[in-house]
Amino acid sequence: MSDIVVGIADMKFSNNPQDVLVTYALGSCIAVAIYDPLIKVGGLLHYMLPDSSLDINKAKENPGMFADTGVRLLFKSCYTLGAEKKRIITKVAGGASILDNTNYFRIGEKNIMALRKIFWKNDVFIDREDTGKNYNRTVRLDIANGNVSVKSSEGFKCDL
Amino acid sequence: MMIDKILKSLEHIPAFPITILKVSEMLRDDDYSVVKMVDLIKYDQAMAANIMKMSNSTYFGSRQKIGTLRDAVVYLGKNNLIRIVQTAGVSRYFKQKGRGYVEKANELWEHSVAVAIMSQILSRQILKREDEKLYLAALIHDVGKMVMGEFVNESFETIARLVAEGGYSFLEAEEAVIGINHAELGGKIAERWNFPKDIVVALTYHHRPDLIEQNNNIIMWLVYLADQVCILTGITGGFDGLAHRGVSEVMKKFKFYEKDLELGMIQLVDDLEHAKDVLGIV
Repeated sequence: MSDIVVGIADMKFSNNPQDVLVTYALGSCIAVAIYDPLIKVGGLLHYMLPDSSLDINKAKENPGMFADTGVRLLFKSCYTLGAEKKRIITKVAGGASILDNTNYFRIGEKNIMALRKIFWKNDVFIDREDTGKNYNRTVRLDIANGNVSVKSSEGFKCDL
Repeated sequence: MMIDKILKSLEHIPAFPITILKVSEMLRDDDYSVVKMVDLIKYDQAMAANIMKMSNSTYFGSRQKIGTLRDAVVYLGKNNLIRIVQTAGVSRYFKQKGRGYVEKANELWEHSVAVAIMSQILSRQILKREDEKLYLAALIHDVGKMVMGEFVNESFETIARLVAEGGYSFLEAEEAVIGINHAELGGKIAERWNFPKDIVVALTYHHRPDLIEQNNNIIMWLVYLADQVCILTGITGGFDGLAHRGVSEVMKKFKFYEKDLELGMIQLVDDLEHAKDVLGIV
């Protein structure tokens, strides 16, 4: 079993049952894990910002940085390995904020809202999620069975 | 009392690398001698070795291939030279094996470099210039954690529990359990190093710049903001993670908007990609 690390503003996908895709220490960023259980294809995106209109050139160079361009890349990549939208299971984690979430640094919330909007427009249903709150998360997607686990900086672990 | 032990330990903290101060001083003169500069840096062997490891990093962006210390002094340019000397010199405090809540020393180093890099991005956005004093303050803002990490072994879990269950911020939990927080301790270390007052204050209040009355210290506010951006981005350097209180007046203070912050984050990811050699020296 080998861990494939997904960095900040990065996306990896695979159909190798030996692979585990992992992304560390999400703060306000969001991890989107998708998986087609029939053919065991999965992908993990770690995006940082809600909207590519902020810097269109950057989005071309690195689509994984933004929710809109990142999600498109994630789904299209898995389609190339035969995944089908109707079978895909979607799980989401991250979008945390610091304490006393005043009206600045709302990037976590904005990231979550942007994602819901994109999914709503495209008829994608979020099957499970662990979002918001005030701790860091490490997310793993096991390609062998589609299990998604979330480990928080406060030490607890859960399966999505 | 643990706090007494911690404060007593400051007596043994190694002096701040004199080479950094001397290089800064020499660079103030526009006609500095390359030979003298090379001699000065060469004298601190650990630092010279680190400079060579970092000097071809694209973050410092020399167009020339740098093969010798002399090349570094000639080709890096003043701004980069001082930053590379500061980085090479300060890294020694992050080399010790992390204990307690600095789980891995290199994670705290990565966070420190990221905050230093972010401080320059913000400085360019807000002040339209880079600032070597700010860079240094940002680089050492968490130095108190390294010292604290040696003592908190048993208290570590209590702090973690207060944060997870008691509604405490990380800083408040440190104060409740140890009697001092890592920021305040960092300020005391900077004092021992005879740093200028604005750096001492910046370290002491880097999580709560709203708590000091005379709060027009730009270095303090920019270190605070740079630190928060890195923490949000997930480059936290410790288990305190996001458990810090937001101080919203920072945005108004600099007429800074969310969009500016987001553009700064994009730049941070880019710069960090180019600074891998810098992260590698610890």
